[in-house]
Amino acid sequence: MENKRNFTFALAGNANVGKSVIFNQLTGLNQIIGNWPGKTVERAEGTLHFKGQTIKILDLPGIYSLSTFSIEEIVARDYIALERPDVIINIVDSSLLERNLYFTIQLLELEAPMIMALNQVDFAAKKGMRIDVERLSNMLGIPVVPTVAITGTGINELLSTALDVAAVKTRPTPLKVRYGKEIEENLERLEAAVRDRLRELCRRYPARWIAIKLIEKDDDITKKVEAYENGDQVLAFADAIAEKLEQVHGHESMVVMAHERYGIASTISREVIELVAPSRITFEEKLSAITAHRTWGYPILALVMAVMFTVIFFGGDYLVGVLESLFEDVLIPMVTEMLSSILSTELVELISGGVISGVAAGITIALPYIVPFYVILALLEDSGYLPRAAFLMDNLMHKIGLHGKAFIPLLLGYGCSVPACVGCRIMETDRERFLAGFVVVLIPCAARTVVILGLVGSYVGIYAALTLYAFNLILVFILGRLAFKVLPGEPVGLVMEMPSYKKPSIRNVLTKTWVRTKDFVYIAFPLIIGGSIVLEALRISGLIWPIADFLSPLIGGWLGLPPKAGIPLIFGILRKELTLILLAGLFETFDFGLILTNTQMVVFALVTMIYIPCIATIAVLWREFGWRKASIVVIVDIWLALLIGGIANQLLLHMNF
Amino acid sequence: MSSEEKIVEVLELIRTAEVKKRVIILEEMAHELESSTSEVEGLVEEALSKRYLKREGNMFRLTRKGFEVLRRHSEHYIHEKFSHGTGIIGRLGRFFEGNIRDWRSHWRHRHGLDEKSINGLYRGIRMLNGRIEETFPLISLKPGEKGIVAFAFGGRGLVRRLAEMGLTPGAEVKIVRSAPFHGPLEIEVRGSSLALGYGVASKVFVKKQVRAD
Repeated sequence: MENKRNFTFALAGNANVGKSVIFNQLTGLNQIIGNWPGKTVERAEGTLHFKGQTIKILDLPGIYSLSTFSIEEIVARDYIALERPDVIINIVDSSLLERNLYFTIQLLELEAPMIMALNQVDFAAKKGMRIDVERLSNMLGIPVVPTVAITGTGINELLSTALDVAAVKTRPTPLKVRYGKEIEENLERLEAAVRDRLRELCRRYPARWIAIKLIEKDDDITKKVEAYENGDQVLAFADAIAEKLEQVHGHESMVVMAHERYGIASTISREVIELVAPSRITFEEKLSAITAHRTWGYPILALVMAVMFTVIFFGGDYLVGVLESLFEDVLIPMVTEMLSSILSTELVELISGGVISGVAAGITIALPYIVPFYVILALLEDSGYLPRAAFLMDNLMHKIGLHGKAFIPLLLGYGCSVPACVGCRIMETDRERFLAGFVVVLIPCAARTVVILGLVGSYVGIYAALTLYAFNLILVFILGRLAFKVLPGEPVGLVMEMPSYKKPSIRNVLTKTWVRTKDFVYIAFPLIIGGSIVLEALRISGLIWPIADFLSPLIGGWLGLPPKAGIPLIFGILRKELTLILLAGLFETFDFGLILTNTQMVVFALVTMIYIPCIATIAVLWREFGWRKASIVVIVDIWLALLIGGIANQLLLHMNF
Repeated sequence: MSSEEKIVEVLELIRTAEVKKRVIILEEMAHELESSTSEVEGLVEEALSKRYLKREGNMFRLTRKGFEVLRRHSEHYIHEKFSHGTGIIGRLGRFFEGNIRDWRSHWRHRHGLDEKSINGLYRGIRMLNGRIEETFPLISLKPGEKGIVAFAFGGRGLVRRLAEMGLTPGAEVKIVRSAPFHGPLEIEVRGSSLALGYGVASKVFVKKQVRAD
């Protein structure tokens, strides 16, 4: 019976320590990415088989502390305390031992069975540090396994050590974290009070940990304690202790505790690190100096972005061509023919027009741009370039009330709005997340670029197309600033780790790309196909024409477009690039110069660029921000697109464009 | 230097002694202030008559009023340093603010600090070790310069967050580089690199350290 038990190991650690690399090493493609129940925090889970055991691996979010500053931290600590995984594998960056140990100490305080993976020992050695693993293990009272995640060194040993701890073959006696005398005396008294008065809560969290959190005035625990009958007395006692600490030290009680913890971390790291070589400037440091340089950093950033977009658009374009001819010339006719032999004509039309072309469009248009984009993104992420870009762009982002980190989802937005909205999770507060999400959907994604370049770029001129891009940036800034003023709350400043550069692992990049692409397909494809069926049904039944008639004053009068052009705009909700294909289909020509004037092209491209993000984006907005905020975005964007489109129409007509 | 400013210096010395839990004598104060014992004695007498100080046995203690004076002095300094640079725009901004009477409401309404963070700031001032003029916001340090964190202030858990990233009082910080046009700073603290936005970095006050090289 004992041998048949399934174990759960949880990976915990700071961000940028190679946690996801270890996770991918352990689980390969056997992973499920989802959300923590009720939270927009990514939950990655995978299984592996080792020594005849099935082991569930859970990747906790990368965090620096177990306080309640972010949702990630609450998710992680509640998981460890309440779900009690069999082993916690604390992944630590050897070259940044002191700060990593600060987190380790907090894990120790949660009194869960744990082991440590001392990762990137090769990099620490490169920086001239030698770490006494045995000594570290003795001081912390937990097994420590040195690893190099990228090459897979030490991963097997890590697993068997974890398995030994899980199967209670080895029973570590973890370090009891002791604070300074004055704190410790009070802490013990408070702990006794907690144990005595809050029995119920002590079943869920360790009593000492509750006491520590109460002294730190942790919001979450305070709220939990308040709910108990004797909670008030305990809280009053804790407040008195905290007050005294603050009086003596002149800082918030939590800051005093953090200082103490860092003191312990610093002592341990000094004990175990031996500097064997004078630390010299590594290649990684030189790279960091040049890419974050106050002058050179910007041309480099521009170059990186230029290369990225060139690869995505030209590479994507090529792939689109290949896949399209495959689908249109071979697969679709084949399937249609097969279906015609068994089904009625209308049904075949519905299936081929809805389902098959939906799938085809998803695969031939969305994926060729998204997959290269994900590959490049993973490369930038894993190498450590993104924080440098955020560092350089922080100032500019502040103009719209966000900080440097928002540059990352903004950049994602040029690829596809769906991952960009998910990317807004890196912002710290709900307000910032939404603000970033609001701005990000206005950025022309790859699909909208197809329309802008294909219509305005090819027929009106490339400068007109670039003007549209410039206009878009101005619009983003104005709207971002407006939203920043309208939304209540204070802006949050940038506090971000600048990890050192690392050589990305190809395997990790490919795994990430695969997992993200899968996630995209799961969100987007059902909606694209469902939407295609609905619209195809409208078309076959002829219901589309009354709708077009109804909209014609708006489309024909205000926007000055041919009334029929309203239909592609409606269909554009499915996918923006569909508007061009439909336009061609409706007018039965691909030479748009024959059917639209220059003004009409610009207006059409403008409206397509601004009005609601596609249906997949609406879905992801809903998932990330709730239906209320999602509908605000949709309504504002439609209204704005019509307003700007109309104004542009009037202006351009007067200018005899 | 007016006599009021000199009194503040005396008060700062006495506070520092209190924080360090030791006694300071007149001669020592005179040495620190580079002035004569008789002049310091006169200043202490004046402070006593203004009820900034009180006698307790053979030592002096700051009164509530004394702390008030110190606090205002420090607040003024911090405000000048962190929010209004020495450039023309900074000075203009400062000029239009005029003379601030109610500091609490000024911090709250103009600088977005909540009640808790203002109290935190005052606590930091009260327990400051040394003169306020010895502390500088991180933004006034140049790349390569080092400092020891004295205190940080700011709303919405900023102080907690900084502490968790290693910026606790007493920690050594080195400026690595800065981005142009009031962009963020990259700093090194406890062996790791952090990027701090300009606004954040202006709220972290450090004591400068003499460069080793």
